[in-house]
Amino acid sequence: METPKDGNQPPPKAQTMIYICGDCHQENEIKARDPIRCTECGYRIMYKKRTKRMVVFDAR
Amino acid sequence: MTSMDDIRNKVRLLEHGVDHVHSSAFPGNYPGYDDDWSKEKFERNFKIQIIHITNEVKRHTGIGMDLDYIDEMEFDMIGIDAAIANAIRRILIAEVPSMAIEKVHIYNNTSIIQDEVLAHRLGLVPIKADPRLFEYAQPGAEDEGTEEDTLEFRLKVKCTKNPAARDSTDPDQMYRDHKITTKYFEWLPKGNQEHLGNIGPVRDNILLAKMRPGQELDLRLFCVKGVGKDHTKFSPVATASYRLLPSIELLRPVEGADADKLQRCFSPGVIGLTTGKKGKKKAFVADARRDTISREVFRHEELKDAVKLERMRDHFIFSVESVGALRPEVLVVEAIKVLQAKCHTLLQELEEQTQPAAS
Amino acid sequence: MADKKKQKIEVLPSEDKEDETVSTFVLHDEDHTLGNSLRYIIMKNPDVQFCGYSVPHPTENNIHLRIQTHDDTTALDVLKKGLRDLSDVCSHVLTTFQAEVDEYKASHPQTSHDAT
Repeated sequence: METPKDGNQPPPKAQTMIYICGDCHQENEIKARDPIRCTECGYRIMYKKRTKRMVVFDAR
Repeated sequence: MTSMDDIRNKVRLLEHGVDHVHSSAFPGNYPGYDDDWSKEKFERNFKIQIIHITNEVKRHTGIGMDLDYIDEMEFDMIGIDAAIANAIRRILIAEVPSMAIEKVHIYNNTSIIQDEVLAHRLGLVPIKADPRLFEYAQPGAEDEGTEEDTLEFRLKVKCTKNPAARDSTDPDQMYRDHKITTKYFEWLPKGNQEHLGNIGPVRDNILLAKMRPGQELDLRLFCVKGVGKDHTKFSPVATASYRLLPSIELLRPVEGADADKLQRCFSPGVIGLTTGKKGKKKAFVADARRDTISREVFRHEELKDAVKLERMRDHFIFSVESVGALRPEVLVVEAIKVLQAKCHTLLQELEEQTQPAAS
Repeated sequence: MADKKKQKIEVLPSEDKEDETVSTFVLHDEDHTLGNSLRYIIMKNPDVQFCGYSVPHPTENNIHLRIQTHDDTTALDVLKKGLRDLSDVCSHVLTTFQAEVDEYKASHPQTSHDAT
């Protein structure tokens, strides 16, 4: 699986983003002016997913 | 008093301090002795004795680590100076090359172990690959490297629930792939590397990360050849050490209760007891080699004058424990070759430097 | 003596350029491993008046090797002899070691499991 290094640049404004609920871990698609709220449990703290960009580390 | 030969050949261990530590047998130091370097003399006196070469897996029944891997050797090197014995020891640790993970490409890591910590752990994993078949990677080259200098592994795992184990509370049954060990390494041979045969981590039970369902790892690992002086992960030995052969001399008979006491002052097996005349116990030196030279005897007023503790200055008891990629006896050979290569490169350069100046 | 790529060894400029019996050599990318073995083997040479080495700075990867000889040789020749002697030692240690290992293996048939 070769992920392009520039894959998933910050998407243009109107596009949806996936956030993870801080309570029930449900993945939520949230658009620009949507309420920040989990559709499953109503929890209001959401987390971003980890970048899909490849990160290089020295094994030192 | 101490004879000239004792000063030259033995390190004396006293109650407070150590005498005659340094080798002093250099030309001009001792009248009547020929200390000039002589190849013939050295080769006549030099000896190596292999004590054991062990390569086995021991199974424990206790808690914790259940397997014990032994890959070590012990040998005696006799008739050589500490300078050279120490050079061999130092080279074993710091200059005999081995392969280790150098770059980690992290595509995904949702486990709780941080990227940099995971990368560091991966670097320390010993890799079973013969470093003699590889070149050093070019500085500044791409991480992917070439088939001559780089080994590539993939580590791609996702932890899942085990639906079959609903009411278990044992993580091993509740989850699948939750303990990420070196077993999950998948070798991706480059070019013709498949001919290298069995390449991978030296052990497949080294724990790297623990996960819970939904967490995943997706990594590429790039191994290169390196030496221990750059980073310990490249060191091919777990330990490489030597000690000098102990020499214990009883200066007067030690009998009765004192004999028992004397025996207890040394490591087990060093002092033996015989029954002398009139059924009295008598101490004798059974096996000085087993001693650790704790100097415990010197704490006992009634015994301190009875023993002379020394170490043979030219008798090295080497112990080499391999990390697992190459056998210890191969590592020693490689170490000696490294030392010789140093001489050759320097000699060659000296020749080159002096030649053009003459012409 | 053009500075080609990286010189592994160079001679430190001395007070008296004419005097070839006295030299300090700088060995780049070397440490006690070679420094001490070379010092030992050179001191075993009866033509040598003095030989010693130092690590001038712990974070700089080079050593200084000082050689002073009696009048009939030069420091450079003594260094070369030292390197040759040390190389001879290595050869002998190597062959002796290998012979002993072979003998040991012949008398102790492999009971080794491939540790995995």
